[in-house]
Amino acid sequence: MNAIKGSLILFIIGLFCHTASPKTKQEVLQEKVHQLMEWSNRRTVIQMGGSKFANYVKSKPRNYSVIVMFTALNPKRGCSVCQEASDEFTILANSYRFSPAYSNSLFFGVVDFDDGQDIFRTLGLNSAPAFIHFPAKGKRKAVDTYDIQRYGFHADNIAKWMAERTEIVVRIFRPPNYMGTVVLVLLFSLAGGLLYVRRNSLDFFYNKTFWGVLSIFIVLGMTSGQMWNHIRGPPYYHRNPQNGAIHYIHGSSQGQLVAETHLVMLINAAIVVGFALLSEVHNPEMEVSKRRVFAIGGLVMVVFFFSLLISVFRRKYQSYPYSLLIR
Amino acid sequence: MGRMAFLKMSADKQDTLLKMLVLAVCCILSFSVRLFSVLRFESVIHEFDPYFNYRTTRYLAEKGFYDFHNWFDDTAWYPLGRIIGGTIYPGLMVTAAAFYNVLHYFNITIDIRNMCVFLAPMFSSFTTIVTYHLTKQLSNSGAGLVAAAFMSVVPGYISRSVAGSYDNEGIAIFCMLFTYTLWIKSVKTGSVFWAVLCSVAYFYMVSSWGGYVFLINLIPIHVLACIVTGRYSHKIYVAYTTVYSVGTILSMQISFVGFQPVQTSEHMGALGVFGLCQIVSFINFLCARLSSAHFAILWQTMLYIVGTIFIGAVGFLTLSGKIAPWTGRFYSLLDPSYAKNNIPIIASVSEHQPTTWSSFYFDLQMLVFMFPVGLYVCFKNLKDYNLFIILYGVTSMYFAAVMVRLMLVLAPVMCILAGIGVNHVLTTYMKNLDSVAQKDKKGRTKSDNSYPMRNEVATGVVVMMTIFLSLFASHSVWVTSEAYSSPSIVLSARGGDGGRIIFDDFREAYYWLRHNTPENSKVMSWWDYGYQITAMANRTILVDNNTWNNTHISRVGQAMASTEDKAYEIMRELDVDYVLVIFGGLTGYSSDDINKFLWMVRIGGSTDRGAHIKESDYYTPSGEFRVDSEGSQVLQNCMMYKMCYYRFGQVYTEQNKPTGYDRVRNAEIGNKDFELDVLDEAYTTEHWIVRIYKVKDLDNRGNPRT
Repeated sequence: MNAIKGSLILFIIGLFCHTASPKTKQEVLQEKVHQLMEWSNRRTVIQMGGSKFANYVKSKPRNYSVIVMFTALNPKRGCSVCQEASDEFTILANSYRFSPAYSNSLFFGVVDFDDGQDIFRTLGLNSAPAFIHFPAKGKRKAVDTYDIQRYGFHADNIAKWMAERTEIVVRIFRPPNYMGTVVLVLLFSLAGGLLYVRRNSLDFFYNKTFWGVLSIFIVLGMTSGQMWNHIRGPPYYHRNPQNGAIHYIHGSSQGQLVAETHLVMLINAAIVVGFALLSEVHNPEMEVSKRRVFAIGGLVMVVFFFSLLISVFRRKYQSYPYSLLIR
Repeated sequence: MGRMAFLKMSADKQDTLLKMLVLAVCCILSFSVRLFSVLRFESVIHEFDPYFNYRTTRYLAEKGFYDFHNWFDDTAWYPLGRIIGGTIYPGLMVTAAAFYNVLHYFNITIDIRNMCVFLAPMFSSFTTIVTYHLTKQLSNSGAGLVAAAFMSVVPGYISRSVAGSYDNEGIAIFCMLFTYTLWIKSVKTGSVFWAVLCSVAYFYMVSSWGGYVFLINLIPIHVLACIVTGRYSHKIYVAYTTVYSVGTILSMQISFVGFQPVQTSEHMGALGVFGLCQIVSFINFLCARLSSAHFAILWQTMLYIVGTIFIGAVGFLTLSGKIAPWTGRFYSLLDPSYAKNNIPIIASVSEHQPTTWSSFYFDLQMLVFMFPVGLYVCFKNLKDYNLFIILYGVTSMYFAAVMVRLMLVLAPVMCILAGIGVNHVLTTYMKNLDSVAQKDKKGRTKSDNSYPMRNEVATGVVVMMTIFLSLFASHSVWVTSEAYSSPSIVLSARGGDGGRIIFDDFREAYYWLRHNTPENSKVMSWWDYGYQITAMANRTILVDNNTWNNTHISRVGQAMASTEDKAYEIMRELDVDYVLVIFGGLTGYSSDDINKFLWMVRIGGSTDRGAHIKESDYYTPSGEFRVDSEGSQVLQNCMMYKMCYYRFGQVYTEQNKPTGYDRVRNAEIGNKDFELDVLDEAYTTEHWIVRIYKVKDLDNRGNPRT
């Protein structure tokens, strides 16, 4: 016990001695690598603020290279590709971490715009995400900035670039995505189970109303641009940064906001319901008293909502010459 | 007198006459609404691809079918050439040439160019008639007339079939609807005759457009849906087996299609359903012949055997690596966002964009909500053949939402279903209009079907529909005139006094090339203009819009993006005599070569020999693409920059602006005074949109040019 204590004291003294004396280059380097290894073992992609970046990436001496992703993950920055790029980057970093090529000569880091705006400024970056390689020796060249426009941010492509820059070849290991398979199997077993349970009365399967409602729903979804939303991922609404005014309708016909598509879907649905009411009026099973309500209600709905649809369209397409009731 | 004669006719005859009148008006309307560009400009072929079609049609009309089929074109893709006969869908050219020959046989000496220009409007008239027949098969002739009227002016279809847009889609929509009509007819009758006619129509469709794949998947889906919902019958069996077997054999006669119908995965669905039909029919046969106990035993044994074989086969193929059904790629086909994430070049093409709601409204207007109404009516009265139009509607809806160009496939079914919907509303309420008169005759018998203010409501509905329909017609004409009627080969702009200014520089330049250069000279330009140069200037080109050889295009991109000495080497290597660039800086024409230049850099740098070309060199340090004095030096000394801005530094373009002010980039150019060492300016058009340079020969003493 005493022996341990003694050695601990000795160690502490030794530590103090070290810090007191001016550190040799070698020792600083060792310390830096040690620290980076520790962080890297905890989390492969090291989060870097201003000081960390300056100490471990910017300043010499270094005998290791660092690949840093500059990004803006904060949702209020509205960078939708940043998250996807970050996922790919993490896949690359993890593939490296668990590959035989793993060593203390290459580290991965990430700098978020909100943590280090001045880093972005000094490096002259004005778009995110960006991947930059900081080589161990020599100056950073133009090719050390990954050309994201050209190659995209697929992990395989970043790995290829990394192999060119650092001569460390990593095979990308993606956690296999069995999501599709699982969903499909689940869906099939659910459908099969349902069919099995109700094998004696398969009426619901031949139920016209079910299929009719389903297909009308698909059509309304598609015509209101939900597929565009799925592919492009626009924000729900747009807030003007200057005066804080909230816009629900995109000002040009090239784009759209989610709120606006929902509105259009509702309008279209209302018009269809209006027409359905008009058509149900002549159903012989209906009570006479309801007919007038249905007929007039349907008529008013159709006219009003169609006028609304045109006026929403006019907001997007300013030179559109037609309008009905509502301007 | 005429009025008397009309009244004397029987009700049937009057009915037929009215229908024919309405249809004739629709046909004339659909033809004439597509003529905006002809009236505004003149009878010219539009854009890029139509020029290739026009050129091949001219060749076909002059030389005959066999020469056309065996045509090896040595004026494109110099020095590689292109086999034209085997790499195109010949339906369009054959159709135009056939019309041309027939008219000439009757001594109507129409020019082949006019034949090409007016083919698409003519076929849209035919489409109107076919739409009437198809909708009549599905519902009734009233709906058919409404659908035909919709079809004649729907902007989604007009966008691809205005006069001068001489492209496959112009006739393919006619072929598609014609095939559908005959398919419905054969399902209804179950006769081999109609089925064979249907497969002939399918053959015509295959010969004219690659989009036939949609058709050969839709028909099997219809059959499958009929089997699943218990609507399967001998009629469907006869129709489908005939259409599939005859249609497949016929489609394989097109040399561009070849063996694809039996090899590629997109045709396998049709084959699978064909097999399924045989199995289902065989089971029905056994079921009728065997006692139920025997049948149950047989059924179970068969099920086990087939199941084992199937699982075994899938397992074997998976293990041997022939198929890979469990990878992410397999599902990505179903997920439209896959392309966006992984293939940037697909995401960058404007035709491959998904569709916003406003472009649905722009192209279809009231059909957007009359379509679900039509679906509602179809579901209320479900038949075997209604099922088809529902499936067509929902599937094409999905495709149109994923890719904006597929709006073309959606537009017809929109018209048909909206026609059914409008007809349903109008017929129910039209009857009510004269309810007062009916009551007088029939007394109280109809009163239980009535309600207060019935007549007023009916009037309201009819007036409303009238307003909606006239709004649709005005909207369509407005859209056609605003958005879909510019030929893009002749440009127009509004002048300061509000008048129209015409820029005819493209044709000026191409005709200059045709008349002033040696016949065997080779012209280098970016690939966009390849088809136009071969068709109009009749000169050999290096790359064209059929972008099949990436390395060749890349080499041209390298020449454009390099400095003069490097470019000279490449141009000598490619044996170029003239270089043609499109420049909009003087007029403000924004889709010029400087704006496309980054693509040349990207494509140029994408191959091994262009490794020295890096996109970042063409940007300013802060990542901007600028042509003024702050722009990158590499950009200001590259071939494309020099060719576009040669002598531009001495020109005043706008008031209060210095010389050399580029009106597209809104900047004063950075490199004004330079001379070209390896090129001579050969020709520049009136508004400087097209500039042609001659490549200098080697120096007599072999000194370098630069």
